[in-house]
Amino acid sequence: MLTLTSPIETPLHRLPAGAKLAALCVTTVALFALTSPLALGTALAVVAALYLANGRAFALQGLRLLRPLWPFVLVVALWHLWTGALADGAATLMRMIAAVAAANLVTLTTRLSDLMAVLERLTAPLARLGLSPRTLSLAVALVIRFVPVLLDRQARLSEAWSARSPRRPGWRLLVPATLATLDDADRVAEALRARGGIG
Amino acid sequence: MERNLTHIALFAALIAILGLVPKIDLAGGVPITAQSLGIMLCGTVLGAKRGALAVLLFLALVVLGLPLLSGGRGGLGVFTGPSVGYLVGFPLAAFTAGWVVERTTLPLGIAATAGAVIGGIGVLYLFGIPGMALVLGKSLPEAAFLGMAFLPGDLIKAVLAGLITRGLAQMRPGSVLSRA
Amino acid sequence: MGQSGILIEGLGYEVPGRRILSGLSAHLTERRIGIVGRNGSGKTTLLRLIAGLIAPTQGTIEVEGMNPAGDRKAMLARLGILFQNPDHQIIFPTVLEEISFGLAQLGHPRPEAETRARAVLAAHGRAHWEGARVETLSQGQRQVLCLLSVLAMQPATILLDEPFAALDLPTRARLHRLFDALPQRLVTITHDPATLEDADRILWLEDGQLVADGPAPEILPLFRTEMARIGAADADTDLPH
Repeated sequence: MLTLTSPIETPLHRLPAGAKLAALCVTTVALFALTSPLALGTALAVVAALYLANGRAFALQGLRLLRPLWPFVLVVALWHLWTGALADGAATLMRMIAAVAAANLVTLTTRLSDLMAVLERLTAPLARLGLSPRTLSLAVALVIRFVPVLLDRQARLSEAWSARSPRRPGWRLLVPATLATLDDADRVAEALRARGGIG
Repeated sequence: MERNLTHIALFAALIAILGLVPKIDLAGGVPITAQSLGIMLCGTVLGAKRGALAVLLFLALVVLGLPLLSGGRGGLGVFTGPSVGYLVGFPLAAFTAGWVVERTTLPLGIAATAGAVIGGIGVLYLFGIPGMALVLGKSLPEAAFLGMAFLPGDLIKAVLAGLITRGLAQMRPGSVLSRA
Repeated sequence: MGQSGILIEGLGYEVPGRRILSGLSAHLTERRIGIVGRNGSGKTTLLRLIAGLIAPTQGTIEVEGMNPAGDRKAMLARLGILFQNPDHQIIFPTVLEEISFGLAQLGHPRPEAETRARAVLAAHGRAHWEGARVETLSQGQRQVLCLLSVLAMQPATILLDEPFAALDLPTRARLHRLFDALPQRLVTITHDPATLEDADRILWLEDGQLVADGPAPEILPLFRTEMARIGAADADTDLPH
């Protein structure tokens, strides 16, 4: 499965994941502490500069990741245009875009395996409760392995539906889909046990 | 032990694909995205603990950078954006829905719908709306007003969660683990 | 108005980066038609094109004079499909609901759909299945249920996608007898030629192209020989595209 990590290599790719995440936490808290449009505008400009410093293609990738925000941008813009609190509106929008863009920057420049390592370190204390790092990576691997399998089956179920109905599939299709997922879980558990189990 | 792991992992995968497949049609021809329905089903079918863990695993994969949220969204940006409250609330919503199904003796379909309403709307909005308020710079009442736009759809999904859970038990008694 | 049967002209289908079918032409009017080929030869895609589940990227296809991908509602009343795995087709928990589904979707009111469903069950000596839960049926019985769900819609043509693949030998024999007795035109996709000995016409697909087209006694031995040759020679170490 393709992750959102950018194939375009940047200097940021070489920074340790833990450091980037820590910096992101600090940045996010700071962004939500700031209130002046000037300060937030500067912050946004800094984030934008970080993107543009890595080339136009990279910056475009970053822009694409911001696209899902547009309904919220619209709502806030219209809201503040209506109430006349323009400075507040600008501050809110700049803060929101800066926060999301900064977080996306970490996602674009950090590989899944590196983030996985951080996640394993962070959850190490939970090993006593049964969540060993090995279990976590097995769980992640299982999900990634089975997303295409489930997608394929959903496509076949949709086809079987379309073979008897001119309408798009309804909620009923989720019954055989969920049942088949439960069966998959049983079968994979068996396969795991056959290979020595997860201890 | 293995069975717990595989149920959690495979239902996390189920949430993922429900964000990737074409929308489900409602009776009137209105399409809905099935992903939040999948989150409710984790609770109502797997029960509170495993359901919540399945959702947490799903969120972990989103954090890791996989575009598994409906619309192909993913990565850390979704956790610093307006939906952050809802994302944090999802595992708790699934837990609550599962808890209601496990702890009550209501007929399964009713329990599942009730769980989906209390969890998927009550608990979820409890986290989702303050999250929106924070990120959109609005007061709680203002954010609640915005959040109400999702209420009709979420109510329908709660009913569907009940119908699907009951449908599972009808199709194969004993398959619904929360009542097994 | 178009011709009867299935008319394929210059049919091609490709997805980004891959050509799955190309240059298929044939006019299928026989009663029992088989489509054979290895896995990955494009048979299932051809079936989907005939069924109208996907539309061709090149060429045309007509079933009973109609574009199958165009008027879905009309096509559903004329063409039925039986897929390989009943568990990926059955949507309802009881037999009656499952068979009534297609009829209801075509616009028949519920009571009428159920009456027709009961009629189909009775016509095949399975009236006692009416209230049965699908879960209690064996794999073979589920496949029959899927077939009855298709027959209830009274299609003129039925497409069968590897219908025997998951069934044991006795069940295969029984299902084969059931198919033999059907008046509809049957188009069967399979990689196992044993089930097509009495077909009127065989189309052999290899790598998305039609490599042979003729009566079963002529084509099947050639197919078998070639499959044996490939099996003996190929190490199958190349990764698919």
